[in-house]
Amino acid sequence: MPHSLVRAILLGVLSVTAALVLAACGSSGDDGGSAATVDSGKDGRRGGTLTLLTSQDVANLDPGITYSSLDLNMLAATQRTLYKYAPDDPSNIQPDLAAGPPQVSPDGRTLTVRIRRAVRFGPPVNREVTARDVKYAIERGFNPNVANPYAPQYYGTVVGADRASGGPIAGIETPDDHTLVFRLTRPTASLLAEATILPLSAPVPQEYARPLDARSPSDYGNHVVSSGPYMLEADRDGRVLGTGYGPGRSLRLVRNPNWEASTDERPAYLDAIEWRIGGRPGVSGRQVLDGEGMILGDTPPPALVKRAYQDARDQIVFSPGAGNRYVTLNTAIPPFDDENVRKAVAAALDREQMRRIRGGEVVGDVASHFLYPGVLGFEEAGGQEGTGVDFLAEPRGDMELAREYMRRAGYADGRYDGDETVQVVGLAGAPDDANAQIVDQTLQELGFDTNLRIVDASVYYSRFCALPRARVHVCPNVGWIRDFADPQTVLNLPFNGAYIFPENSPNISQLDDPAINRAMARGELTVGTDERASAWAEIDRMVIATAAAVPWLWDKQPNLSAEDVRCVPQLWNQGHCDFSYTSIE
Amino acid sequence: MAAYILRRVLWGLVLLVLVSALTFVVFYVLPSADPAQLRAGRSASPETLAQIRESLGLNESLPSQFWTFLTSLMLHADLGYSYFSGASVGSLLIDRLPATLALTLGALVLWLLVAVPVGVLAAVRRGTWVDKLTTGGAVLGISMPVYWLGLVALYLFSDDIGLIPLLPGAGAYVPLTEDPGAWFAALVLPWLVLASTFTAVYARLLRGNMIEVLSEDYVRTARAKGLSERRVVLRHGLRAAATPLVTLAGLDVGLLLGGAVLVETVFNIPGIGSLSYDAIVNADYPVIQGTVLLAACFVIVANIVVDILYAYLDPRVREA
Repeated sequence: MPHSLVRAILLGVLSVTAALVLAACGSSGDDGGSAATVDSGKDGRRGGTLTLLTSQDVANLDPGITYSSLDLNMLAATQRTLYKYAPDDPSNIQPDLAAGPPQVSPDGRTLTVRIRRAVRFGPPVNREVTARDVKYAIERGFNPNVANPYAPQYYGTVVGADRASGGPIAGIETPDDHTLVFRLTRPTASLLAEATILPLSAPVPQEYARPLDARSPSDYGNHVVSSGPYMLEADRDGRVLGTGYGPGRSLRLVRNPNWEASTDERPAYLDAIEWRIGGRPGVSGRQVLDGEGMILGDTPPPALVKRAYQDARDQIVFSPGAGNRYVTLNTAIPPFDDENVRKAVAAALDREQMRRIRGGEVVGDVASHFLYPGVLGFEEAGGQEGTGVDFLAEPRGDMELAREYMRRAGYADGRYDGDETVQVVGLAGAPDDANAQIVDQTLQELGFDTNLRIVDASVYYSRFCALPRARVHVCPNVGWIRDFADPQTVLNLPFNGAYIFPENSPNISQLDDPAINRAMARGELTVGTDERASAWAEIDRMVIATAAAVPWLWDKQPNLSAEDVRCVPQLWNQGHCDFSYTSIE
Repeated sequence: MAAYILRRVLWGLVLLVLVSALTFVVFYVLPSADPAQLRAGRSASPETLAQIRESLGLNESLPSQFWTFLTSLMLHADLGYSYFSGASVGSLLIDRLPATLALTLGALVLWLLVAVPVGVLAAVRRGTWVDKLTTGGAVLGISMPVYWLGLVALYLFSDDIGLIPLLPGAGAYVPLTEDPGAWFAALVLPWLVLASTFTAVYARLLRGNMIEVLSEDYVRTARAKGLSERRVVLRHGLRAAATPLVTLAGLDVGLLLGGAVLVETVFNIPGIGSLSYDAIVNADYPVIQGTVLLAACFVIVANIVVDILYAYLDPRVREA
């Protein structure tokens, strides 16, 4: 099909889509859903069973393994990490299992945390949680049978962690039952304190888990023990598989009989939470909108977002800080090894159109740098206004400026006339495939010959974009979600030259700028919240200046709930309804 | 006959090994999702990936992995464990099979109950409005994609989101042993949707066969002997015309028992089809192997059963 015909059809479809969405979502006097409903969850009604409908199964029940946002939502109700975020405050950690704030030594090499008393494991362990349980939880992350992806990244500076393989780590000390001391080889204690919000710091009883961790892979996930207000329904031996969890079918959380409300700020109004796994988001979303006591665990399709926004505004929450989206340009191979060519692409891309396809302003803000709202350093990097680079000044794209950059790259008439065919790999499924097509069209307008492939999400990174030897030039559907509020978690892996791997490479652009790498190394060791925000904001500006990737959206995640559900969104985790604070009216 | 059946069974076993090898090549060798990377996420280092691969047995050579799988299956009837949930593949298949059996067999009964009289009627009333009506209905049934039809059925008739709340919608399935009434009600819409295309195809096929058979000499002879039209059509005509349908039904049931993926997905029925779909998306190779082998088993068994039934229905085959 000729490119011109493709473009005409695409623009026609987009225009219709945009008109439908804008008519629904862009009326005057409307904030466009730009602010999420911030709810602390106080004074909810007790009782009831909440039903979560989701097309996706849990990735893993083991807090030492999982990383998906839906799983984190479940774990937030069943596990108590050292620190956590309150649902309405995604930036400041609060004590959960810890009894008070983290104590960081002046040299930043020691972190001391005191554990609350009277916190008990659920059945079948039933005893008090001690500091040794947290120590074991972290140590098992280095066990090859568990292989936690965050363990080396955030706990790697603990003394002895470089040699850890599941056994004791010398740098994690427990001088008494309720004190943990981390001794570090470098001054990264501030970062480590933040990192303890990840499930790896949730206590694991060693006497119960060790035999399960000896299996390859570990079977602890099918016997997971709770420390939070809820637990997975299990048999007498603690086995959840086949009881509280039916793979691909259902999952059931019930009250942990050993949970002490006096030790926890969570109100835990609900009696139970049932997951119904499977089905299509379009159907499940309608069931949620029209039903009772239900929430949707998936991203609703655009048509449903529109319907909810128009007819059931109270039932949809657009949670900001749900991550960023950007187009990567492979800096390691021609033609994008030329910075001016990259800036031309960045200037030419209509980021407004990219957003419009996904639903318009309700689904996010047009991005101008990589740190996004809710991540420390966002304002320091320029906030909504951006970093000030000319090639990202115009959200609708500036083709004249783009051609000027192409001329600077040596293409006299402002269009590429080289021999390379640009390989573009996009994500299957609406609206991602449409976003990929827009990027593809933009490249063609700049004179590139392109070969666009649309592939499934399961292979997008593993076989294409995160595989350097695949030699993909452009990946339009890349994004990143923070691990926690620290800006290092957004910028380090995607843009540090140290993270270009032969496979599963997080640095998809293959940016390897010595100045940026050095700045990141310094930033990693910076102590103090404000200081870290400033340091990483400067790194954000530096990365933007290279145009190695083109940011185009700061996501707001739409979340649906039934009319009778008072959903308290986790602003730190894609706005999922927090089970421990949500109630049924 | 016994020797024939034995030969067919042995050949079926050979086929299963070949299917297993082909599945292995498709999912392990050709470019597809990497279960280790899916499990590890994008933040994982090469060392972490290597650890996960080792724990899943993916670091062994491909022939070694296949040999391990084959010997486990042949010697211990062990299909391995899900990379995702850690559950044994065998237990997952056993858990999911009842839903697929219920869906498939119920739809089969429905489409035969409708297709046979419709096909006979259309043939006997050939050229009339009855024939035209059934032909039009058949074209409609064949044209409508099952997935789309399922969604339409939900949006029209499900009791939670439908315009005319009549029947339970998506996610309502419960096991027969838990609540027979709810089990039945939850399957009515899926049965209707799944049966629709097959009804149309079978009705058209039977109509054509009947028209051909009713023009045969022996049918004319039967009429000449004074047999009632009803007896001529049903005993002499239908029996001969239905034989190809038996073959087709066997194959279709065998295929569906491997998983009616689209219907199971739309109605959120926890059957083999949805299990295989999830396994493919998650690169859960042991489960993929298990579902493919199960589907192949059903097709092979269905073929054998059909051949035996064919011999029973058609004496000429029996005596050949």
